[in-house]
Amino acid sequence: MPADVLYRVRNLSVDYNTRFGPLTAADRVSLDIHRGEVLGLVGESGCGKSTLGKALMRMVQPPGYITSGELWFDGQDLMTLSDRQMRDVRGRRIAMVFQDPMTSLNPVQSILDHITETILTHEKQTKIKDAEARAAELVDRLGITARRLDDYPHQLSGGMRQRVMISLALTLQADLVIADEATTSLDVIVEAQFLDMLRALRQEFNLTILLITHNIGVVAELSDRVAVMYAAKLVELGDVREVFGNPQHPYTQGLMKSVPNIKLQDYELYKMEGSPPDLIVPPAGCRFHPRCPHVMEICSQHEPGFLSHQPDHYTACWIYDPHDEALPRQAVTSDQA
Amino acid sequence: MATTTTKPDVVTSPYLLDTDIGLLRRFWRGRRWYGMEWYITTFGALILVVIIVMTLLAPVLSPYDPNTFIAAPFIPPGGGRQSLLARAGESPVQSGDDLAGMTIGVTRNTTSVKLAKELGANEYRYMLPGEVEIGLANSEVDLIFIDRDTVPEVLAAHPELEVVEENLGASYLLGTDNLGRDISSRLIWGARTVLLVALSSAAISSIIGIPLGLISAFIGGPFDRVLSLTMDSIYSFPGFLLAVAMATMLGPGLFNVAIAISVIYIPTFFRVVRGQTLSVKEELYVEAARGLGATPLSILRHYIFPNVIPTVVVVFSLNVADAILTEAGLSFIGLGMPPDVPDWGYDLSKGHQFLVAGHWWMITFPGILISLVAMGFSLLGEGLSEILNPRLAKS
Repeated sequence: MPADVLYRVRNLSVDYNTRFGPLTAADRVSLDIHRGEVLGLVGESGCGKSTLGKALMRMVQPPGYITSGELWFDGQDLMTLSDRQMRDVRGRRIAMVFQDPMTSLNPVQSILDHITETILTHEKQTKIKDAEARAAELVDRLGITARRLDDYPHQLSGGMRQRVMISLALTLQADLVIADEATTSLDVIVEAQFLDMLRALRQEFNLTILLITHNIGVVAELSDRVAVMYAAKLVELGDVREVFGNPQHPYTQGLMKSVPNIKLQDYELYKMEGSPPDLIVPPAGCRFHPRCPHVMEICSQHEPGFLSHQPDHYTACWIYDPHDEALPRQAVTSDQA
Repeated sequence: MATTTTKPDVVTSPYLLDTDIGLLRRFWRGRRWYGMEWYITTFGALILVVIIVMTLLAPVLSPYDPNTFIAAPFIPPGGGRQSLLARAGESPVQSGDDLAGMTIGVTRNTTSVKLAKELGANEYRYMLPGEVEIGLANSEVDLIFIDRDTVPEVLAAHPELEVVEENLGASYLLGTDNLGRDISSRLIWGARTVLLVALSSAAISSIIGIPLGLISAFIGGPFDRVLSLTMDSIYSFPGFLLAVAMATMLGPGLFNVAIAISVIYIPTFFRVVRGQTLSVKEELYVEAARGLGATPLSILRHYIFPNVIPTVVVVFSLNVADAILTEAGLSFIGLGMPPDVPDWGYDLSKGHQFLVAGHWWMITFPGILISLVAMGFSLLGEGLSEILNPRLAKS
């Protein structure tokens, strides 16, 4: 594993047992997260983004299960750790900032308690006084005055709560911060402030961030690389300018065309045909083929490999994969993703 | 041109959330934003405060011992003062005679005997109520005590008698029961029993029910299923029958009754806590805590339990109200306290026995108190449930 790779995910599959049968919310996902980068993960609702984020922390709750895969985090396979060791990784090495800052803080705990508890959970020998001092220092750096430390979550605004959530992630200087729809419930101004802050913190703490969102604007703003997910599979991964400027996969192309643009003047907003597939019985072959404008015969028969057709730009599409129609091909999982 | 200066109005809003105004005044201000619920809760709480003060000060407040046969039986409320009667013309007290050597006819109770002694008579004879005046008329005794209220009747029946002295002894605010025990004292001491049994039974059931509900919902799976079914089967019993069965098994006694009652309410706590835990468990902040590496125990203690507690408070006070009624019911059918423990339910059942004879006060006052205390706890519970309900919370 190259030194600049912080988190290497290989063939990660997550199933949810439903009454209609197992639903695969992440299907043999492979990707690398490099140290110090911001990796955006975009896709429509229900495509498995959040599941993937949780799976990276091994936090998928029953009826969901990680059915296969390797999670190499900093040279260590997280799948082999015990629950106790895994708890130590959570919060200390990998932290998560959740969708909704309104509800992701415990209503009966003060801000100070939130932060000190996080510290004391991982560093049991720390004195409460020291933990409190650290908490005060931390929130101060995030622009919350120390006298608000005794406030309860409902006394803070949405932006402040989100900053508190970030401070929880930063308390123990986590290597990887997974931000799951962290800006969704904020209004645009607070969102912009939040993104600015995230950018500044990234410099200061040398953070690696996995930014899970369906807001393409946020990803374009903040990310270095972007992964596009469709129906539990990654369809495109690459440099953010490359992917958004020159999308290769038909789904990404459609996605880019459906983003509302303030300069929208002379054409209607593009609507992709069809609807996302049922993940319990996904379409055979390429999962996008029923909606794809460039569908070919092979698309409905064989799954395309997730391959690099340009340097550091991976796409799972038969258009770019020279293939022999007669040759049966199994899904290829790249090792270089 | 004249310059005008406008001063900003001084804002004197009573709604300012000063935190340095003292607990009582803050509580008083609460009525403005909680509205009706505040009044309900406060009224309920006031009833309870009165009852609790009564309980604590029972030795001071109660005029008599609750178990002594202090006066004649069936004295109506406010009655009980005695008149001293003698045969007309033979009144020794009036003529200043010494009472020595005279026999006073008394009914067998503490007050009359004490009165006779106070008057200086060293001889008294116990007689049945209704026979004392006959005894006096027949010269069996020289003086008798009778109830002041019955004097006109007695004088009408026995014109040869006359009143020597009136308004002797004490009166009984709420009357006496069938054994001549003071009802007010019994009620004051009985409050102890009732509150003790009701609170300890609710405490026992919450101590068992809350952790079970928390753990069951938190662990889930087959464990939860088995426990829920067990609790549901207990819950499906008619509550009072179950308490009767338990009380029969355990025998009389304060804590036995408390345990018998608590069994009924364990499922209530269990179900409420389990349901609440199931919903709190799915909250984002619990997941966030997990994401920060908190242990399951710490999640249960710091994230789930404090968020479940408000509902428990409500259930607790409603259960106490219910337990009071159940306890009274158990005592009513004779499965409650041992006879020497003053108890409202027992008084109620005795009152029921003698209601046909026209002694209405024996059943009325314990009945009022039981309803009042049960209502106090219910009002407190209902009011708190409105105030503490997170969906209705005004920030």
